[in-house]
Amino acid sequence: MADLQAIVARVKNALASGAPAPNHAAPRPPSLQPDGHRAELVSRFARELEAVGGRIIGPVTPEQLADRVITIVRERGVRSIAVGEGVLVDLSQVGKTLSESGIEVIRTGSVDGSTRPESRKQLARVDAGLAEADYGIASTGTLAVLSDETRPSALTLLPPVSLVVVWIDRMKADLASALTALGCAALESHRLTLITGPSRTADIEKRIVMGVHGPKSLDVIVVWPRDD
Amino acid sequence: MAASPKPASFFESSEAGAADRELQRKLENASSRHLDHFAHVKAEYSDYEEERSHSRQIKEHAIAHLDELIVELTGKLKARGCAVYAAATVEEAREYIVSVARNTGARRVVKGKSMTTEEIGLNPALENAGMEVLETDLGEYIVQLRQEPPSHIITPAIHLSKEDIGALFHEKFGIPYTSEPERLTAEARARLREGFLNADLGITGVNFAIAETGTLVVVENEGNGRMSSTMPEVFIAVMGIEKVIPRLADVSHFLEVLARTATGQKLTTYTNFIGGPRRDGEVDGPREMHVVILDNGRSTMLADPVMREALYCIRCGACLNVCPVYRHIGGHAYRSPYPGPIGSIVSPNLVGAAAAQLPFASTLCGACKDICPVNIDIPRILLHLRWKEATRSDLPKWPAPAARARAGARQFARLARHPSTIRLLGKIGAIALKPFARDGWIKRMPLPFSNWTGIRDFPRPRPRRSKISAHED
Repeated sequence: MADLQAIVARVKNALASGAPAPNHAAPRPPSLQPDGHRAELVSRFARELEAVGGRIIGPVTPEQLADRVITIVRERGVRSIAVGEGVLVDLSQVGKTLSESGIEVIRTGSVDGSTRPESRKQLARVDAGLAEADYGIASTGTLAVLSDETRPSALTLLPPVSLVVVWIDRMKADLASALTALGCAALESHRLTLITGPSRTADIEKRIVMGVHGPKSLDVIVVWPRDD
Repeated sequence: MAASPKPASFFESSEAGAADRELQRKLENASSRHLDHFAHVKAEYSDYEEERSHSRQIKEHAIAHLDELIVELTGKLKARGCAVYAAATVEEAREYIVSVARNTGARRVVKGKSMTTEEIGLNPALENAGMEVLETDLGEYIVQLRQEPPSHIITPAIHLSKEDIGALFHEKFGIPYTSEPERLTAEARARLREGFLNADLGITGVNFAIAETGTLVVVENEGNGRMSSTMPEVFIAVMGIEKVIPRLADVSHFLEVLARTATGQKLTTYTNFIGGPRRDGEVDGPREMHVVILDNGRSTMLADPVMREALYCIRCGACLNVCPVYRHIGGHAYRSPYPGPIGSIVSPNLVGAAAAQLPFASTLCGACKDICPVNIDIPRILLHLRWKEATRSDLPKWPAPAARARAGARQFARLARHPSTIRLLGKIGAIALKPFARDGWIKRMPLPFSNWTGIRDFPRPRPRRSKISAHED
């Protein structure tokens, strides 16, 4: 890696010959907001999500989830849906119920070289994707979603209708708190995507249009168990 | 609708821009809408001054430790299976990327919006190597169809109206004419989706690179960056050396600040944290990932105590939107991938001699400095670059009037050392000009003074000007 060493050496020389380094230490990271009351977090999240064109559903209990998903799916005219693995919520149960009610369900899972192309084709073909976010971010209406073999990034990208579940305890006050909760280790082993509303553009006269490349709609279902 | 031939100099291209009233209307429209969004979202946040001083501190600290941070970042990326290539020049970067494309047998390339790849002139190089290159950001796609470069670093098609784009799509795709942004976007979506599913190679830029975790952060609204970095089998990320920040804890601040200043959002729709190629069992993500780290004049800027702060730029484009010169002449006049105030200070270092005139394209009004989220003193750097250009040992031949202006300035400097002479000349001037004045203004004069009055009015000199008014302009 001679090329890299050469650049590092050039940078080092430039630093030595240029302006004196500012004499302050690394600035302190922003102080974290306390998470606050869960109901407040959810209502803030809902407000921000709606402001960017998403829709909030719930809170619903884990038992109500499957029925609620079916209602949304029917309303959006979805006939096929890809369902990823949940984080805290059991999405396989939801998948089963969807399938029983006549909707084509594709479960995502580990693939190898021979099954990957087919799996990708399916993800590109279905009407909707159902995934669970690792965290919700109240101050911006954002979802933080890690991907792995059972939760491909394409779930929240390729299908025109996007459904994302988030567990109430995973609602954080702001981005800094969510990234702290995720931690460096998660980023070192997974791809992370922050999602704030449906895909959009303002490239034509700065007018906002939804659904450029990614989903045209985003429904977020907050799951809140009754017992607490 | 081919691109017009490149004008010979900034003076010609800026004159063309300045004469285009329609262009100014479009730019006014778009920039004022942007500034409204920004003002709206800024009002919700506490203290802009405090925020930008925090950004500034992180960047100062990061750049002061850039050598260590590059080593940390690239070590982490390599450990996860990324190929890292450090390019000293645009030629090296170009050659590397073309060779990766060749070696992997790529024929179709999809790109996310990246000013760094514009800087290295990547598209023509890939096309010359026989590849099909598709820009997938909607604005970039539009300007690519017109065979034009982008005219704004955030909103590439800012110089086009929806009617222009409707006519373009009608001409290129044979679809019925429409100027509705929704229908134009739907058309582009269908065409570009096809491109994503069939691409062999994806290329994007990088907004931030976190050294601590070895993560590249790519910010976008449309989803094309996500597509370009997950759908093709091979993915190349291209970044300048200055994009590295130390810790994960630093990134949330920048993501919020960038979204606000660039587009007036609280956070952009998608933020991608990319650490490496896909792992066993994963459906998406590239099989092979390359990271190209580009110097191309940046280490020279680093060594210059005045220029260094230009490396703190996070490319939000806000200074373009507030700049009276940019809003008057448009981005193409700068003839650099980086137009506007920030472009005028980085282009001479990144693009070279062709951009030497850009530091003069400013009124030094300071609006850029006032809005800059990392508090870069752009006017100071502009003056520094003007001084460097004016004191070059091989004084440029361009433009002849500049040589005359320099001679004039030298003459004036001689006179100005004698206050009594200056005062006397002022008095004579005031008397001589009096017959030309109408309502306090001199609007018409005979040659050679008509060179001035043909372009702008001159206030009638008055006896005994106060010190304050003498300080104006």
